[in-house]
Amino acid sequence: MAAAYTPAVSGSGLKAGVQRLGGHLAGMVMPNIGAFIAWGLVTALFIPTGWLPNKHFGELVDPTITYLLPILIGYTGGRMVHGQRGAVVGAVATMGVVVGSKIPMFLGAMIVGPFAAYLLKKVDGYIQERTRTGFEMLVDNFTAGIVGGAVAVFGVWGVGPIVRQVTKGAGNGVEWLIHHHLLPLASVLIEPAKVLFLNNAVNHGVLAPLGFAEAAKDGRSILFMLESNPGPGLGVLLAYLLFGPRSLRPSVPAAIIIHFLGGIHEIYFPYILMKPRLILAAIAGGAAGIATFMATDAGLVAAPSPGSIFAYVAETPKHGWIGVYLGILIAAAVSFAVGAALLGFGRFAEKKPDETTAEAPGGTSEAAAEDPAGAAGAPAARETASPSPQEA
Amino acid sequence: MDGKDIRKIVVACDAGMGSSVMLASSLRKELRKAGVTVEHTPVNSIPGDADIVVCHAGLGARARNSAPDKPVITFQVFLGDPAVARLVKAVKDGGEIGA
Repeated sequence: MAAAYTPAVSGSGLKAGVQRLGGHLAGMVMPNIGAFIAWGLVTALFIPTGWLPNKHFGELVDPTITYLLPILIGYTGGRMVHGQRGAVVGAVATMGVVVGSKIPMFLGAMIVGPFAAYLLKKVDGYIQERTRTGFEMLVDNFTAGIVGGAVAVFGVWGVGPIVRQVTKGAGNGVEWLIHHHLLPLASVLIEPAKVLFLNNAVNHGVLAPLGFAEAAKDGRSILFMLESNPGPGLGVLLAYLLFGPRSLRPSVPAAIIIHFLGGIHEIYFPYILMKPRLILAAIAGGAAGIATFMATDAGLVAAPSPGSIFAYVAETPKHGWIGVYLGILIAAAVSFAVGAALLGFGRFAEKKPDETTAEAPGGTSEAAAEDPAGAAGAPAARETASPSPQEA
Repeated sequence: MDGKDIRKIVVACDAGMGSSVMLASSLRKELRKAGVTVEHTPVNSIPGDADIVVCHAGLGARARNSAPDKPVITFQVFLGDPAVARLVKAVKDGGEIGA
């Protein structure tokens, strides 16, 4: 019984490792999403092409994205490594790469923030044992000041210019993909990564920082919508609702609300993990959505987080409605159609309930009825699903 | 470990901001009368005073790495998962929980 609760560690060490690295990247961005949204809203409202153009308020836009947002990321990255002291040197160090590069420096902040904090942690470990009683405050303040200042100078001199090239290179790569109409292929990587719980890593660790750099330049970015489009997940859930195993159908409407309105995409991952072939539906939907966004030149002003339809509404730029909604709609329609076909339009649904009722433990609730399907389907699902990112 | 000994349940997800908040709030509602604290955190920073950790199977390896001494309960689906239902029952009525 006990073993059933905690099965052996699932997934390979590599998967957990990638998740952990991605988790660190996303962990620096996600606690600060509120600030990003504030910037997005101010930008959408007050820039010359916004809803309420206002030069005076518009002055908020540049300093916020150049200084405040990267520094918040560096601060949070430092705090993850070495608490409040790490946060302070992380922020100071980030100032170095910001000044050294003159473009929105999210990637640089993600590197030097934790690095400065790590350095201070090592310095603290060495010095604290050797500090005389009564000198702790003096020593603590000056080690933090010296480490922060040194990393900031190093950032201006060395890291800033390098990371500027890297950010430019990544931006050029994305532009190249857009120019050659290859961006929809990104779904082949993004959708499988999502359901393996790399969603935050992909979106907040990679796409959003590039997107903010683009949005600072053009006022909007398509990159915010590659991962966060709620359309593909909605299509998969609708396919489940109509054609999925009967025992699972009752749980789907609630999942649709949580996914599409609440923006918690994690809710639909298990439905794909149970029937891994449905990842093809998500990929097809995602690619169709991105193609639509590209064709209509759509973009959002900031990262919609969580990926809810309401966040999309709030962050769609003026005159950008059609492309954004069409992309969501088409993504949902395509992933629903493919998903329905993969589920055999319900033809495979008939066998399951018999097994389910036969195996179901005493309980008669909906939850109990789902159990065997979930428990039996998912481990197998995981094994077949895990290789897919490597193939892709 | 007996369900009655649980004082604090930690629900973990990748960022500690999305799915864990959702599951924690529904657990909190179910366990309102049991006198159990339910918290949500990122899977990389599970607090030391947690009695038991709940997270999705896809994050199980990371939860065990980040809190090696805690019992970890993994689930497959976010709504009505049997493992979570068993935990709730064990906390309410007492009874053995696998560790």
